[in-house]
Amino acid sequence: MDLKQLCEFHAPSGDEYKLRAALLEEAKKLCGDENVRIDRMGNVLCFKKGTEIGKPHVCVSAHMDEVGFIIVGATEDGLLKFRCVGGIDPRVIVSKRVLVGEDLIPGVIGAMAIHLQSAADRQRVLDYDGLYIDIGAKDKAEATAKCPPATYAYFDTPYTPFGDNFVCAKALDDRVGCYAMLRLMEESFPCDVTFAFVTGEEIGLRGATGAGYTVRPDIAVILEGTSANDMGDVPPQFRVCEAGKGICVSFMDGASIANRTLYRDMLKIAEENGVPHQVKRATTGGNDAGAYQRAAAGCRTIALSVPCRYIHSGVSVAHFDDIEAQYALTRAFLKNV
Amino acid sequence: MKTEDFLREVVALPGVTGNEGAVAQYIAKAFEPFCDEVTVDGLNSVIGHIKGDGPKVMLCAHLDEIGLMVAKIEKDGALRMRNVGGVDPRILPGMRVTVHGKETLMGVIGAKPPHLLTAADRAKNYNREDLYIDLGMSPERVNELVQVGDFVTLEYAFTPLLNNRYSTKSVDDRGCVAILLRAMELLQKTAHTADLYFVATCQEEIGSYGAATAGFGVDPEIGIALDVCHAATPGAPALATHELGSVVATKGPFINRYLRKKLDEIAHEINVEVQSGVAARGTSTDADSLGIVRGGVPTVLLELPLKYMHTSVELFDMHAVTECARLLAAYCSAIDESWRDELWT
Amino acid sequence: MLRDTLKTLLAAYGPSGKENTVAETVKNLISAHVDSMRVDALGNLIVEKLGSDENGKRIMFSAHMDHIGFVVTHIEDNGYLRVNNVGGINPQISNARHVVFENGTEGVLYCQPLKGEAMMMKHLFIDIGAESREEAEKLVQLGDMAVYAPDYFELGEHRVASPAMDDRCACALLCELLMYLDDPRNTVVGVFSTQEEVGIRGAKVAAYSVQPDIGIAIDVTAWGDTPDVTLPSVQLGKGPAVKFMDASMVATPAVRDAMLKAAEEAGVPAQREVLPFGGTDGAAIQHSRAGVPTGTLSIPCRYVHSPAEVIDMRDMEGGLKLLLKFVENA
Repeated sequence: MDLKQLCEFHAPSGDEYKLRAALLEEAKKLCGDENVRIDRMGNVLCFKKGTEIGKPHVCVSAHMDEVGFIIVGATEDGLLKFRCVGGIDPRVIVSKRVLVGEDLIPGVIGAMAIHLQSAADRQRVLDYDGLYIDIGAKDKAEATAKCPPATYAYFDTPYTPFGDNFVCAKALDDRVGCYAMLRLMEESFPCDVTFAFVTGEEIGLRGATGAGYTVRPDIAVILEGTSANDMGDVPPQFRVCEAGKGICVSFMDGASIANRTLYRDMLKIAEENGVPHQVKRATTGGNDAGAYQRAAAGCRTIALSVPCRYIHSGVSVAHFDDIEAQYALTRAFLKNV
Repeated sequence: MKTEDFLREVVALPGVTGNEGAVAQYIAKAFEPFCDEVTVDGLNSVIGHIKGDGPKVMLCAHLDEIGLMVAKIEKDGALRMRNVGGVDPRILPGMRVTVHGKETLMGVIGAKPPHLLTAADRAKNYNREDLYIDLGMSPERVNELVQVGDFVTLEYAFTPLLNNRYSTKSVDDRGCVAILLRAMELLQKTAHTADLYFVATCQEEIGSYGAATAGFGVDPEIGIALDVCHAATPGAPALATHELGSVVATKGPFINRYLRKKLDEIAHEINVEVQSGVAARGTSTDADSLGIVRGGVPTVLLELPLKYMHTSVELFDMHAVTECARLLAAYCSAIDESWRDELWT
Repeated sequence: MLRDTLKTLLAAYGPSGKENTVAETVKNLISAHVDSMRVDALGNLIVEKLGSDENGKRIMFSAHMDHIGFVVTHIEDNGYLRVNNVGGINPQISNARHVVFENGTEGVLYCQPLKGEAMMMKHLFIDIGAESREEAEKLVQLGDMAVYAPDYFELGEHRVASPAMDDRCACALLCELLMYLDDPRNTVVGVFSTQEEVGIRGAKVAAYSVQPDIGIAIDVTAWGDTPDVTLPSVQLGKGPAVKFMDASMVATPAVRDAMLKAAEEAGVPAQREVLPFGGTDGAAIQHSRAGVPTGTLSIPCRYVHSPAEVIDMRDMEGGLKLLLKFVENA
């Protein structure tokens, strides 16, 4: 499966069914049926026996879920009321196209035309209470029959390579990690490796919390997408990382502090193997490393993230060299562990 | 025991979060006639086991209640308090309370009379820090009978209202413990293969810790959480509320889709009315923490609609309680081996 | 002596995530007094003193080694360091402070005076004397952490102040407890935990692997005896405090009451603590596995999370007696 195919799956947190099934099939081909399973959180866990003994057990993990929307009701005139699943800034969704439900019913997120807005309206941020998905339904009955409450809705954005080796797509966070894992699963490494495609990251690291407990690795390497924030007038000290400058190694974020030895080793391995890399500079946000680190008796963790501009929107942007670097550095790490 | 009688007795017992000993012992006794084994764990969750050979299922509803704790005794004998769980501070002025000191004492939460307030002050709610409990005693007597850390419960009554509705305290969530009890009773006459653990959990109101710890001990394959939700009241947002008369089954990213679908199927078969709810984020119930116990527990959530949540006059409909119990019993008896393979399809 | 142990521990470098120097210091102090020592994946130092009674209980004590600090997130072209907080740093009281890094590099934390804007972490920078990025990078890398420069001074006969009192005073207490315990009946597991200040992380995994029957966290608590403070009721010098609740947990009544009883039997005045905020390792222990009856012993401490955290040594001595009695009774 390539990155395009992965990004085209719709899998908001709690609605990972189709992607999970596809990953399961793919994993069985790469690791053998007997080494692949779905755990109690709906994670896909794939085990690759190491070629040497006495090495630590490494879990490489990426989350399969993405941010999306869920329908919570409809107005009398047939507009769908909705909420975000995972954190989506309501300011980035006005005038965007979405697909609703398993039948992928097209819809648009509309707003009052600018001509009709007062000066005060223009200043006001439209929040989820003031936004609607319009599928063209004529009334509440039709809207609810087609899209009952709890139906998921997805960004309708095509996967598009553009510019100088960049790609624009939805769900790059974290299909880039899933993509790197599928490539890594093609070979074996000196150490035992469990590849974990986990659920529910965007709603609170829930899948990884279970996977960490079930897998009990010695080391967890989290493959992620992280916000880049590197364009425009952002002063240098507030730039998290820069797209196109290599894979991000994290020393700390809001959910975990990287194991200091792993962090140093990872930078050294990147250096020795000529993998373009950078240090993630913001200490906010969080990812599955926090869940793995504190599951059961704990494990050492490190996160390797692909810089993604406009993360958690329908138009996240990443650089192919960084996507390649994530794969290359993880591979070099697994060979050197 | 009639559900009404159980509720009348169980809400009478103080069980402020972290100090649930008395209510846990009472519930353990109530569970005993219907269980193969009942235990009270180290943190005061009550675990009733009804044995079966099939999938291990944990059902839970929390037994703790919100309340207050004495935080400081002022020189004049006034008690400063802090809340245990989310007590609405607006209900406190003019409230009669019970202070559980060396003796059980009546107190009142006084408030400045309106004559002495400025118009601006009158327009604001009291801050919790401005309020105190008056025991009507000298400071010496207060210090003799009360200590920092004593807990305080709100005065309440058990009031039957029109149309099979009742108002009292701690329906959140002992109303759902009553549903568990009634379902256990019904299961006496119904065959089941599932290995059932009925758990009245402690410490929900400060972070759903009882569901996590009891869940760890039980290690279930399937979780069924019960809690209360908001029934419609004037001015409350329609999307956040439901009708009082029937139970609500939640959907959303924290809820297992297959288990939720089976709820609809079984409710339809036995003709129990179920409302549907959506929780886009967490459910703010034991379902959230039970769902990530150990390696994870596929979980479903049932909610009893309640008016005036987190006050001493919480109002519910008994019909919703008995119908929910009927659904729960039927659901438990339907769970079998085949469910294991369907959980992620 | 308690005071000497405390001084030794206060001098060690140890922000959250980089507690290994503190762990080494603790090991040197207590290695002769315990049966085993190990360091886990999160850097927790876990030591055991085996009980003589094989039916005895397993009591876990936890004191966190880490304290709050600053992490370097950016190095400017002219050599200044931009930082973010590690744990609950108050930017206002951090302005114009002397800070130090693990390798001994010293610096001044500073913020340009602001007009009508509240001081935030983004306004602070560290000046280590470097004149260029290259010069700075020879001494400090992204991800390195600075702490308030170690300090220790005495206020009158009983009180002592230091930036690391939270929670090295508890580490000192736990070290002394392990030194004084003579052939205990119950097994005592001492956990010198990590990453408490960033969210009670170390104690969570330690509690899981230790599997205690009873848990006791030792930490500092806020004070109520300086001007303009109303809650809580705890005062310095009036004895250690037994926690009833804070924002993270309600102490298990049986453990809390056993602590109060131990205080009474040891002839130690003990205060009762109801804290409207805050949390300790106790929460992680109590909520571990199927639940562990847990209490917290608090050392009253003024000006917590500042460069001058003040405690009273009489509360420390009382705390030690209380804990010794508690282990004996359990």
